Amino acid sequence: MSRYIRNRLIAAVPVFFGITLLIFLMLQTASGTIVDLRGEGAGAGAAERAALEAYLGLDAPLPVRYLRWLGGVLRGDLGTSYASGKPVRTMIAQRALPSLLLTGTGVLLSVAAALPLGVLAAWKPRSGWDRAASAVALVSFSVPGFFLSLAGIFVFSVTLGWLPAHGMYSGGGFSGLGDLLRHLLLPAGVVCAGGLGGLVKQTRAACLEVLGEDYIRTARAKGLGDRAVMVRHVLRGAGIPVLTTVLSHIPHIIGGSVVVERVFGWPGMGSLLFSAISSRDYPVVMGVAVVIALSVLGTNLLLDLAYALADPRVRCVEAEP
Amino acid sequence: MSGRGAWARFCRDRRAVVSLGILAAEVLLAALLPVLLGLEPNASDLSAGFWAPPTSEHWLGTDDVGRDLLSRLICGGQISLLVGFGAAGLSVAVGVPLGLLAGYRRGAWGFWIMRLADVVQTIPSIVLILCLVALTGPSIVNIILVLGLLGWTGIARLVYGNTLAVREREYILAVQALGGSPAMVLRRNVLPNVVSPVWAVLAQRVGRAILSESSLSFLGVGLRTPQASWGGLLHYASSLSVLTGRPWVWAPPGACIVTTVLCLQFVGDGLRDAFDPRGSGRAAK
Amino acid sequence: MKKKIALLLALLLGLSACGVRGAEACVVVEYGLSNPWDSLMPYNSPSGSNYSRIIYDKIYDRLAYVHAGGALDPRGAASWEGADGGYAAVFHLDRDAAFHDGTPVTAEHWVETIRRMTDPACPAVGKSVFSVLAGTDGSGAATGAPLGAQALDAYTLKLTFKTPTTPEDFLLDRNREYYVLPTHLFEDVQGAQLLSLDLWDAPVGSGPCTFISETAGSRLVLGANPDYQLGRPGFDELVISVVDKSNLLPSMIAGDLDYYAFGGSVAAEDAPSARSGGLEVLEGETPNTFFELMLNNETLSRPVRQAIDLALDKQALCLQATGGLGEPADSDLLPGGEYAVKNTWSRDLERARALLAEGGYDGRTFRLACTANRSGLAALVQQELAEAGLSIEIETVDSAAMFSGMADGSYDMGIASHTPSALPLWFTESRLAEGNNIFHVPDLTPYAGYIAGIKGEMDPAARRALVAEFQAFLTQERPFIPLWFGRALHVQSPTVEGIDYPSSSFCNENVWEWTLRR
Repeated sequence: MSRYIRNRLIAAVPVFFGITLLIFLMLQTASGTIVDLRGEGAGAGAAERAALEAYLGLDAPLPVRYLRWLGGVLRGDLGTSYASGKPVRTMIAQRALPSLLLTGTGVLLSVAAALPLGVLAAWKPRSGWDRAASAVALVSFSVPGFFLSLAGIFVFSVTLGWLPAHGMYSGGGFSGLGDLLRHLLLPAGVVCAGGLGGLVKQTRAACLEVLGEDYIRTARAKGLGDRAVMVRHVLRGAGIPVLTTVLSHIPHIIGGSVVVERVFGWPGMGSLLFSAISSRDYPVVMGVAVVIALSVLGTNLLLDLAYALADPRVRCVEAEP
Repeated sequence: MSGRGAWARFCRDRRAVVSLGILAAEVLLAALLPVLLGLEPNASDLSAGFWAPPTSEHWLGTDDVGRDLLSRLICGGQISLLVGFGAAGLSVAVGVPLGLLAGYRRGAWGFWIMRLADVVQTIPSIVLILCLVALTGPSIVNIILVLGLLGWTGIARLVYGNTLAVREREYILAVQALGGSPAMVLRRNVLPNVVSPVWAVLAQRVGRAILSESSLSFLGVGLRTPQASWGGLLHYASSLSVLTGRPWVWAPPGACIVTTVLCLQFVGDGLRDAFDPRGSGRAAK
Repeated sequence: MKKKIALLLALLLGLSACGVRGAEACVVVEYGLSNPWDSLMPYNSPSGSNYSRIIYDKIYDRLAYVHAGGALDPRGAASWEGADGGYAAVFHLDRDAAFHDGTPVTAEHWVETIRRMTDPACPAVGKSVFSVLAGTDGSGAATGAPLGAQALDAYTLKLTFKTPTTPEDFLLDRNREYYVLPTHLFEDVQGAQLLSLDLWDAPVGSGPCTFISETAGSRLVLGANPDYQLGRPGFDELVISVVDKSNLLPSMIAGDLDYYAFGGSVAAEDAPSARSGGLEVLEGETPNTFFELMLNNETLSRPVRQAIDLALDKQALCLQATGGLGEPADSDLLPGGEYAVKNTWSRDLERARALLAEGGYDGRTFRLACTANRSGLAALVQQELAEAGLSIEIETVDSAAMFSGMADGSYDMGIASHTPSALPLWFTESRLAEGNNIFHVPDLTPYAGYIAGIKGEMDPAARRALVAEFQAFLTQERPFIPLWFGRALHVQSPTVEGIDYPSSSFCNENVWEWTLRR
């Protein structure tokens, strides 16, 4: 087991650099630089463009630029944003917590709703619970986030006036937990709805799978009570796939949700990534990518460990690469 | 567990059969109606005006440039269904074999396939989109590629996990001991056991792909204007006045998407039950 | 416990003056902006976008305030006049103006700002705005010759131009890019280090608002400058948030925004929603958008360019985009302005077909680029050109990709819009110039001749004649196709009074006259 973890950690290094190189190269293929945005106005003259590109370091050859960036990262410096002129590290630090708060709340809400619903739906197939689970999944799969966001804003902010339509606080800054929660409710609800369907379906499928196992049948035949079977065997057996689904949301939690953050003007990483892409602010895009890469690698390691721990049969079979 | 037996079991599930019928009808209508009716989804009718409400001539009214919304709905179906099934199919086609292979072979194979999944999972989709736009420009193939190739990791991970668990089961070990070739064991014994969660994901993937298509267009990888799609039509609802004042614009494509996803769910459930060797779907009856 | 958590969150998520003082005492104006701004250093905005300018407008002071119709009001300068036979302008600065740290704004500050920014060692991208001044090269860098910015006395600033320019024309053209910096705070800093000062993270300006806090790209909290020379804004805090376009109007109706830039403008089709949400909608009188079809003059021959102009149904395009609040255009000159010419455009498909044949059009498909929100417009253009027999395919891309694609020649056409001004060369001078030849005009010499002639002519009547001559040349050459001038609908703030909505399109807002309705 410990050898496996060690191998994983060692492999994470080339994987991490592979990811950054890949994203760096992909960004270079995109047409336009931040200087081209000047076309909205009078445009940039050749001299002006050259000066700006030199200042931003865009005139250096590709490998030099990547190595420069990589050198910075190794020293803990993610570079400086082209647009805002601020250190990327500072910008990400400002955005990480709000993203965590919004998406984290959303995912927690959907876990809290999906687990009981999924288990009940599996326990009593074709019952009202099962139908409710299907209906929830249907809405979650077929209604896009932007639509849910705007419909939510229309109903709860514009028509009823209960919840604020945008932002994280009213006024200039943090002014109480209640205010923050009111701002959080609508966007977190949309994030929750987005993840709910998959989670309900996964939970239901996993529980059904376990319920079909012989040992459960045996347990039930032996007269073990429904509740006892459920708690002792089914939930434990269904744990892996459900855990997979929940954990697979973690990078998403850290990376933020682009659509929801944008529509609600939430100051998270998703909206940061979006505006950085539109303004070709590559240091910021790379910075966000690094954070997402680290969280994906970390999560997947956790995920595999969870597999191993939850299922003893898996534990002993993982070999070295 | 033969194909015939599964089909017979599937046919006993009335809901699944009806859903399959509806899906088939959707595909047929989307494919045939534009030709049969001679629809012109891209032609503006300036005499009807922009954003005209429904009339006898334009049953669903016209859009922002005076095009007939009904024609666009029907023709949009072609593209949306193609994108939805294409992308979900690609995710499954890549994800299931890789997941199986990784889980069955384990060792270096499993290790590096999963690391590849790590890499792909990490690329923010808008970065990939930006790159593809620059390299090839908008096309349906591109959309399917982007959505399909970004979506396989989750499926692979799911199948991988299940395969790891299944391959240690006694009966698989028994078949192996009796000299079953790996390919045969995988196909005959492992696959049926690990795909059932995939059926549950499939309906979701198709729905998501249909919806994602419309949100790709802002960076240019979407459809080539003026092609129509359900997602694109639904996107008109991002304007407050369309959302609240012109439900005939977004409700029909919305209903089409919901119907498609619903039917896929039922078909997926039916398929899962039909192929599930131990009939776990009916376990608690 | 609750209090502790609240305090912790407050520390983590950022504090506001009002949050600390308590909300009752605080008058906050919530201000929406659909896109983020760049750095808070006004001469370091790589995108050069209006979203940045409208922010600088609050923190820093400008010489004048430009109204939508082109009228000018005093701001940093109380009055001005021409000098040196039209080659210079003298600005008499407002003696009450002061930086937020209390230092009075003097002519020396203006001169120093210009001197420091035009310093070739300073990497400021905004220095090109100074290229109109004597002593600078085409990119705005100082050449070593005497710089065209002098302090005649503590409160008199003299700017000397390369070509004769009236102070009014100068202000219409450049006012939104000339800001005075607190040069006394960085006297000892080297030019190369100027942009990396901590000062720009918490800037000190002399504008109507003071800096409080910023979440870069998302939220900016400004305070009211109580000593602003034109009056104290009627709020304690101006909270500027980036809000997606689709949520601006809903937020306003819901009461979560008091105002959004620019001028609360709303599409004609959304005006009924605003009205039914209880908001008043005002129709702007001055055109504030100019739409053009950018053309690649290398791939599209002159007859083809003329054919496109005749084939387009500008009336229908204008109606689609503005909902009737606009007029088709056949020139880039502001309608109703001093130089306006008679609009003689009309659609003529027959003639367009003939011109296509004459231009040897071989049936190839041209590529038109536009941003996603204009894909409907592009679809209409495609149909209209198809009626004349010209086929195009549409690429919806974002604006960086569109402008770079036009510049490197990968697109043949593109749909763009701009904020027009009353000056005769507002559009043509920068786009038909060496180094920024976005239309790929093979020979710019005749254009340069016309432009220099117009700039050098001081007599109004003679100038008008030259402008008319230039326009005739443009009509004949058609390097780009003017589509229409549009006016805006302005959603009125239900809570803030005194907003000059139309002037917001010109990147200045009279926040010092804003008061809250009680």
